[in-house]
Amino acid sequence: MPEVIIDGHKYEFEGEQRLLQFIQDQGKEVPFFCYHPSMTAPANCRQCMVKVGQYVRDRESGEYEADENGEKVVRWFPKLQTSCNLMMSDGMVVHTQETDELVKRAQKDNLELILINHPLDCPICDQAGECPLQIQTYKYGPEGSRFEVKKVHKPKRVQLGPRVVLDAERCINCTRCTRFTEEISKTNQLTITSRGDKNYPTAAPGTVFDDPYSLNTVDLCPVGALTSADFRFRARVWEMNQTPSIDITSGKGCNIDLWTRDNLILRITPRYNGDVNDHWMPDEGREAYKLFNENRISRPQQKLDNEQILSSWNNAIATFSELIEITDKKDILIVASPHASVEENYALSKYANLMGLMQPVFVAHIEKGKGDNFLLTDDLAPNTNGCKLLGFKEISSKSLKTQVSKAQLVIFIQDHFIDRGILSTEDIENKKIVIFSSNHSETTRSADLVIPVTCVAEHAASYVNTDMRIQRSFPAKETKYSNRRLNLEMSEGRLDRHGTHFDNWVTEDNKIDCLPVWTFITEVAAFSGIDLTLEDGRSVMEEIAGSLPAFSGVSYEEMDERNGMNLSAEKEKSKTDS
Amino acid sequence: MSTENWKTYEPVLIPDIKNLHTIEVYEKNGGYNALKSVLTDKKKWPDQKSVINEVKEANIRGRGGAGFNAGLKWSFMPPADGGPRYLACNGDESEPGTFKDRKIFEYNPHAFIEGALIAAYAMEITTIYVYIRGEYRAYIQMMEKAIEDAYRKGFIGKKIFGSPFSVDFYVHSGAGAYICGEETSMLESLEGKRGYPRVKPPFPAQKGLWGRPTTINNIETLAHVTSVINRGAEWFKNVGAATHPGPILYGISGHVNKPGVYELPSGVPVLDLIHDVAGGMRNGKKLKAVIPGGSSTPVLRADQLDGITMDADSLRTVGSMLGTAGMVVMDEDTDMVDVLWRIAHFYHHESCGQCTPCREGTGWLEKILLKIKNGQGEIRDLDLLLDLTTQMEGRTICALADAAAWPVRFTINRFRDEFEARCKKSVHALV
Ligand SMILES: Cc1cc2nc3c(=O)[nH]c(=O)nc-3n(C[C@H](O)[C@H](O)[C@H](O)COP(=O)(O)O)c2cc1C
Ligand code: SF4
Ligand code: SF4
Ligand code: FES
Repeated sequence: MPEVIIDGHKYEFEGEQRLLQFIQDQGKEVPFFCYHPSMTAPANCRQCMVKVGQYVRDRESGEYEADENGEKVVRWFPKLQTSCNLMMSDGMVVHTQETDELVKRAQKDNLELILINHPLDCPICDQAGECPLQIQTYKYGPEGSRFEVKKVHKPKRVQLGPRVVLDAERCINCTRCTRFTEEISKTNQLTITSRGDKNYPTAAPGTVFDDPYSLNTVDLCPVGALTSADFRFRARVWEMNQTPSIDITSGKGCNIDLWTRDNLILRITPRYNGDVNDHWMPDEGREAYKLFNENRISRPQQKLDNEQILSSWNNAIATFSELIEITDKKDILIVASPHASVEENYALSKYANLMGLMQPVFVAHIEKGKGDNFLLTDDLAPNTNGCKLLGFKEISSKSLKTQVSKAQLVIFIQDHFIDRGILSTEDIENKKIVIFSSNHSETTRSADLVIPVTCVAEHAASYVNTDMRIQRSFPAKETKYSNRRLNLEMSEGRLDRHGTHFDNWVTEDNKIDCLPVWTFITEVAAFSGIDLTLEDGRSVMEEIAGSLPAFSGVSYEEMDERNGMNLSAEKEKSKTDS
Repeated sequence: MSTENWKTYEPVLIPDIKNLHTIEVYEKNGGYNALKSVLTDKKKWPDQKSVINEVKEANIRGRGGAGFNAGLKWSFMPPADGGPRYLACNGDESEPGTFKDRKIFEYNPHAFIEGALIAAYAMEITTIYVYIRGEYRAYIQMMEKAIEDAYRKGFIGKKIFGSPFSVDFYVHSGAGAYICGEETSMLESLEGKRGYPRVKPPFPAQKGLWGRPTTINNIETLAHVTSVINRGAEWFKNVGAATHPGPILYGISGHVNKPGVYELPSGVPVLDLIHDVAGGMRNGKKLKAVIPGGSSTPVLRADQLDGITMDADSLRTVGSMLGTAGMVVMDEDTDMVDVLWRIAHFYHHESCGQCTPCREGTGWLEKILLKIKNGQGEIRDLDLLLDLTTQMEGRTICALADAAAWPVRFTINRFRDEFEARCKKSVHALV
């Protein structure tokens, strides 16, 4: 196998590989800015310089030549090389900053140059704390600056588009943002304008940067030049908790991180998953954070004399059980939802089973033409395949209308059919409507009983995406009944680990009074004297995997280990195994 | 020096023939015979390779500044595969002190066109572009006219001289960026993109215009090809300096009596060029310094010039380069701080801004020099300037950063007294 020698250690490698990527894959480091593994390497920041040579082979024998001491002879490149775009070859010898003074010096020199026109306004810059320029300057940069003349001034606070703001003075011209619109989103909306040290990225005159993926450039930007119009100045990153989750606004199930402070989700960023969304996500998915904070239903609500009033959990449980009891079984319609997780839907269906009710049906949420063959899908719900795999019957919107008209009691979950224009208020007149929901809507306002349930940011639950991949969320936000310090699924931030109670900005105000669907179902079952215990997402999934062949082998451990599981691949595998 | 015989040299590229720029006069003087010979005389030129070998043998060292053997460069083109292949002719001519290619555009455009056609034939090229700096408005029009005439006469187009060789020829106008003279940046510009130099490898012969094999040559280089075919490699090699042979268009500017472009053999002594060719120093002033080949080549003091001739080898002995042979002559009244600031200003203005050391370094150099020029410099600024040149040199995507760094390093090193004297006179506000 071909070999490279990096800082005196020998590594074997296969195929075509870029040196910088290989160095990183070995857990080593070379500072860099412009390189990104999913885009072309323009080698323009010049930060990733290393010293490179090649063992000399004897032309005839093909053997490595050796000097009088028996050491292999190395022919060095006359200049330092950028490692990001250098393809490795057999017998390559590399010295990074760890073993070569000139490399160290060159990297330091380069950082000095990058910084001369940089405003150095970290204290008021949103990127501080997660800034590659800041981090690498501390590690590899000069002690101070010898720059005593005037800095270049460039446009600041430029609203490039509805969601992205540019501070051109902070820009280091790495072209990650322009390459993103060229190579990934393919809108070509950004380009570098002007020349030399007056360079900065911009949209063409008269156009706006409204790329449906525009916010990825904010993540890509290695400095605070591009910021999110929505998130800027909202929080310092070191005061936030970062929790892995799944985007529930489309069928793709982009892997994401939820960022919380004081129990509010303040932003959503993509999390790398090479099988799903690479490093990217659509802007729409990021807007979802508002759903988790705003317009939330806290405490059950019940209709009394045609007016919804706040109720209590005891009342809600009693009312729910009563409605089931007094209604003829054939007149009860349970509508499951692709907007709810596998576990939530399963809880409903299990309850239906035990009570001898009809199995749930569901209506898919499709908007033709919404998909773009990238990360947006026609499917607007995260779990359509999950509903199918649970064995629910898919019905059309029209058929829903008919079935509702025949029913006396209808139970909805996380689906807002009145808001979607599928049902009208007349359709549900004289019927009892129960809805499990996280957010208020026209639909919930027309219901007789509203059960506030946890949203994806508050529970661990799974979703099966349009490619049959099952992936799960983690709780990021506490409810009235969960506690970050006690719930092992919840992430710990820097302040949780190192801060005092007062550092943590935690108030009770932002905790929602809601329960996971399975918990509520467990309660109503108990009320009716039925033995049904659904403890948490993890155990519900264990039960599903044990009883439904479509989910066999699925577990939270396995999903975590493999960053999600492809169920159709899983099926193929079990076929060949047997 | 064999170069004493420059005095008897008869110009070939820009001879004194009236209206040579018209295709009729050009033809009357043997024009397009070289092309015809290459395409039709199978005995003399059995195949493309024989043409490349002749050009390689002549050792035409690229006149765009880097001095690379043109025939050798042509031989790097991969074998033809039926797809498009390009020749990009570099007429961007923007380096301060360089103004020779325009002479060819104006006085003998067909010599260049013919050379380009021969090159295209030799490398099995299907399309030729000539990239001319935008400021050369008049020359662009003249080139367009010349190419139109050559099309009309059948020297460009389909089945030239009845041979199977067909080629197209286009003029492309630059838009005011020096960097578009850098060959890969020129390719980007030709593709309609921002003029950012490309990272090499891949080299243009492998992946050039639109990813296809491409060769880039300077206008003068290609014009010499015509003479090499007409007169033979042997003739060319015997003109001027042995390791850097052939005629050169010397562009002489500055404090001389007769600035202009002169066609002479390579290897003419620098002092002969100043005193005999360019009519001596203006107003009888004393010579102070010479920039031999465009603003990026290291400046030489008058006392370094004895016996130095205009070819790469001789200039290297005193630490400079031939570049484009665009020579800037400066007399005793010249303020070197001013000169260097002006050069630094140029490179700062022209850096494409793609890579860090050049984007940031060129501006920093200029700003420090401006400070010194304005009487606020300090001696430590000189050492900072020198430090910066090593921070920039050899660490960028293209050679513009080197071109910006060298003048600073060598002007300060060779005129340090003058810079220090200026710094010592600085007046600093008391704070
Ligand atoms: C910054 C920069 C500017 C250049 N400008 C020109 C130019 O204006 N004209 C030119 O012929 N070559 C220019 N060159 C050199 C070209 O890159 C290239 O080497 C040359 O055109 C090749 O032709 P030749 O081999 O015939 O000399 C420039 C190079 C650099 C680095
Ligand atoms: S705005 Fe950011 S991503 Fe874009 S070029 Fe500047 S530093 Fe790079
Ligand atoms: S060296 Fe200067 S001109 Fe050349 S690519 Fe880099 S920034 Fe552009
Ligand atoms: S990361 Fe290699 S040059 Fe920018």
